[in-house]
Amino acid sequence: MKKFDYYQPESLKEAYGLMEKLNGEARFIAGGTDVIVRIKQGALHPDALISLRRISALKGLGNEDGLSMGSMTLFRDIERDPAIARDYPALGEAASVLANPQVRNVATIGGNLCNAAPSADAAPPLMVLEATLTIEGPGGQREVSIEDFFRGPGETCLEHTEVVTRITIPKKRKGAGMAFLKIGRVAQDIAIANAAALIVVENGVCRKCRLSAGAVAPVPLRLKRIEGIVEGRRIEPDLLDRVAEMVQEDVSPITDVRSTAQYRKTVSGILVQRAIKEALDRAG
Amino acid sequence: MKKLIRFTLNGHEVSAEVESHRMLLEVLRNTFHLTGTKEGCGQGECGACTVLVDGLSVDSCLYPAFEVEGKSVTTIEGLVEEGSRLHPIQEAFVEHGGIQCGFCTPGMIMSTKALLDENPHPTDDEIKRGISGNLCRCTGYVQIVESIRKAAEKY
Repeated sequence: MKKFDYYQPESLKEAYGLMEKLNGEARFIAGGTDVIVRIKQGALHPDALISLRRISALKGLGNEDGLSMGSMTLFRDIERDPAIARDYPALGEAASVLANPQVRNVATIGGNLCNAAPSADAAPPLMVLEATLTIEGPGGQREVSIEDFFRGPGETCLEHTEVVTRITIPKKRKGAGMAFLKIGRVAQDIAIANAAALIVVENGVCRKCRLSAGAVAPVPLRLKRIEGIVEGRRIEPDLLDRVAEMVQEDVSPITDVRSTAQYRKTVSGILVQRAIKEALDRAG
Repeated sequence: MKKLIRFTLNGHEVSAEVESHRMLLEVLRNTFHLTGTKEGCGQGECGACTVLVDGLSVDSCLYPAFEVEGKSVTTIEGLVEEGSRLHPIQEAFVEHGGIQCGFCTPGMIMSTKALLDENPHPTDDEIKRGISGNLCRCTGYVQIVESIRKAAEKY
């Protein structure tokens, strides 16, 4: 394996200072379950890694006026958090099926997003929950909607010197139902496809619909065109069939070792359909 | 870059001078000669390198050695009880044939320990999820799940 230096700053300020000193030849590292693998595979060649694990400002999980998670929150902790299970079950479910226990014990939600895999399991639930990411760098702080964060496979809107510090989710709307679904070859697999839905229903009519599909395009998708079709209507079998067809039109998957593009297309429509049904069952 | 790291290894305070690009697995095997922990895929898929860090199962092949500073690491060697008696999980694996070639066994047992420490009476589904990060190339999963079920009875 390539040799690299490894720094463990205790504050963001120290981390930015190190990044500047190393002239951009360094990379930030969170849990390492993607970065270390990519270094071992020869896909990344950093001279140095700057670990974010000791920075206390990036930790902590709070659920008061909405959910606020430090970017270094472990999937293990999201999976076990009772408030997340109650108010944001789609997020808890995604956390509980990401990879395997050993990975969830070190992998972080911020790391999953910054790795920017189209299949990132944290992305669809955060999309339907309309999460905001707080991004900080030596130049200051900015906020970006999760929808605008991803730019392509492995690419985000982050500058090399910036880190995601927090992920915030607005307070759960009363009566909202939500679900996350994933299909893989085996339990610990990277998703062939995943999907999330959030539904609010009043008097039998859908008042709010948020849909997201992953692993079927260069970035995790928000399916706005389809949301617009569902909102204002009763969610009935005909509408759900139309949704599945529209998902197939809106995705652009690839064929790889896990699945053919055609299967991804079909299964993505079915997953979104099922996620809506499950969210509907939980709404109200 | 090199650094002296101090941590607790199987209950003993230890220290070692480690290079910054080394993973915990390499330190365990090459510095401390604890070769019970195996390297399989080296990419966090197979779980042969599973150890406990502060009680949580991790793939030691992806765990930067510098991060272990101040933490407590338990390997398969650390499970042996006083008088060199096998741990009840190890006994259950021996009694119920949860071992074929044996390469995945230390990792399977460490994942089992992490599972039973948190959930002493898992369902079969919880057992399967608990070892979903450990692959057995011999595919002896039926006996492995049975061994874990039996180990849970004594836990």
